[in-house]
Amino acid sequence: MGHKSYFYLKQMALNVRQNWPTQTMTLLTVTLSVLIFSFFLLIYTNIIAAGERLGDDLRLIIYLQDEVVPELQPVLTKKITDYGEVEKVVFISRAQAFSRLEQQLASEKDVLDDLGPDFLPPSIEVYPKRNLKNLTHLKEFSDYLATLPGAEKVQYGQSWVERFGYFTELLRIIVILSGVLLILATVFMVSYTIRLTVVAKEAELEVLRLVGASNRYIQTPLLFEGTMQGILGSVLGTGLLFSIFKWTQLHLSGPGFLNLLDFTFFPASTTALIIGAATLLCVGGSLLSIRKYMRI
Amino acid sequence: MLKSFPDDRPLVDIVKATKVYPPDIIAIQNISLTVAKGEMLFLTGISGAGKTTLLKLICAIEKATKGVIEVAGLDLARTGPAEIQRMRRQIGVVYQDFKVLPKHSVYQNIAMPMEVTYRDPKEIRQRVDELLTHLQLTHKRNIQAGKLSRGEQQRVAIARAAANAPPLLLADEPTGNLDTGISELVMSLFEKLNREGSTLIIATHDESIYRNTRHRKVELEHGLFASHTLHKQLPLIDL
Repeated sequence: MGHKSYFYLKQMALNVRQNWPTQTMTLLTVTLSVLIFSFFLLIYTNIIAAGERLGDDLRLIIYLQDEVVPELQPVLTKKITDYGEVEKVVFISRAQAFSRLEQQLASEKDVLDDLGPDFLPPSIEVYPKRNLKNLTHLKEFSDYLATLPGAEKVQYGQSWVERFGYFTELLRIIVILSGVLLILATVFMVSYTIRLTVVAKEAELEVLRLVGASNRYIQTPLLFEGTMQGILGSVLGTGLLFSIFKWTQLHLSGPGFLNLLDFTFFPASTTALIIGAATLLCVGGSLLSIRKYMRI
Repeated sequence: MLKSFPDDRPLVDIVKATKVYPPDIIAIQNISLTVAKGEMLFLTGISGAGKTTLLKLICAIEKATKGVIEVAGLDLARTGPAEIQRMRRQIGVVYQDFKVLPKHSVYQNIAMPMEVTYRDPKEIRQRVDELLTHLQLTHKRNIQAGKLSRGEQQRVAIARAAANAPPLLLADEPTGNLDTGISELVMSLFEKLNREGSTLIIATHDESIYRNTRHRKVELEHGLFASHTLHKQLPLIDL
């Protein structure tokens, strides 16, 4: 095995040297594709994390005509939890609502003196579970809650939640598109490079066949070439993204957007996954070319 | 495969082989020939006699139109590509057009058959240097083969064919571009390989290399046998 690897690596080095301008172009393409994809993925994952944090205070308030008698509360709770993923449901009586308002007004609670403790409507506070799916489906959930018996009006931070939902949806599409770009660019470029290598080595391949070289002897260096493009390109791409991330943290720190999002880089496992996937794509590109252009 | 082949059976067995190139050019017709293991055979005849075709059939570059070609017991018409590749690793071939890679160095060209069999790199270096010395090419070791003269390229092709000390060596006009002195060097290399156990089939029209040979000589004419000379017992000269 030792000698075999030596010959495969030697042959691969020869291929790279013979065809270095195309090899460089391919490496750049793989690097850029990985960079673009992981850049949008990083933003997307951070936005989702931010959405979950912002969702801590998210609740839907159902204003009711009348107080809900304690016997009816489990029935309503079941109806609510049956529809969507809910963290908790809290019933607020008129008196509780009044007491809360008093606490909020603090020293200015005198303004409430002329109003009786029954002037505020009773309500139900619904705390949905914090995930993106729930965030983007709040409108439907709210519409459903409005149909509950006794419900007069449902309120939640509709405007920002909807915008946030659209934004994350847009990001999701961009991540998918950049993923497709990554797949197409790497597979195409690597398979094109291998094809050029095969064409440049036509005479050599003929002699190799005449001296009895096995398919494995001929193909393995080409597969090594694709693997090397994948590993180098993806390590460079993610490395570049990490450098951009660090630079941004250093220069754009302060009470800005990034701090609001509490931006973090990928965990090591995700980085390894990106590198592994890009490498696999490059190996796939090599295989494609080998099967297509080498009649062996 | 070829090395472990029993001595009592012919290493190459050709039975009524015919090769027709399209549309209807008959290169060889009804040729039958057996070559024993360890034999050195000269295949003679003028250009176009069918010598090259016969060699191509033996190393499976071409397929016979009719007849049977067996090498080490393998019927080449029924042998798959992987088995053919395995067989070729044990056959050294000197091609008439050399098939030397012009952008590769002399060393790389000669090392190729040993590299495809994953030989120890140190062993490869030693063997290549030994062949370069024998064929007086040491000073050209790292030069691109394309920059050599025809005669030098031919010697590179001979060294490549001999690199693995193959059990079977086929040489097509191996001295065609060489002067007398170098031809003798080449023939001494072939004799050495033969003494060490290699079977050699040398196609040539250079009478000087087989005139006084003790080995068998087969003459082809228009794709047919013209004459067949048996061994001539001459004293062995240690070269």
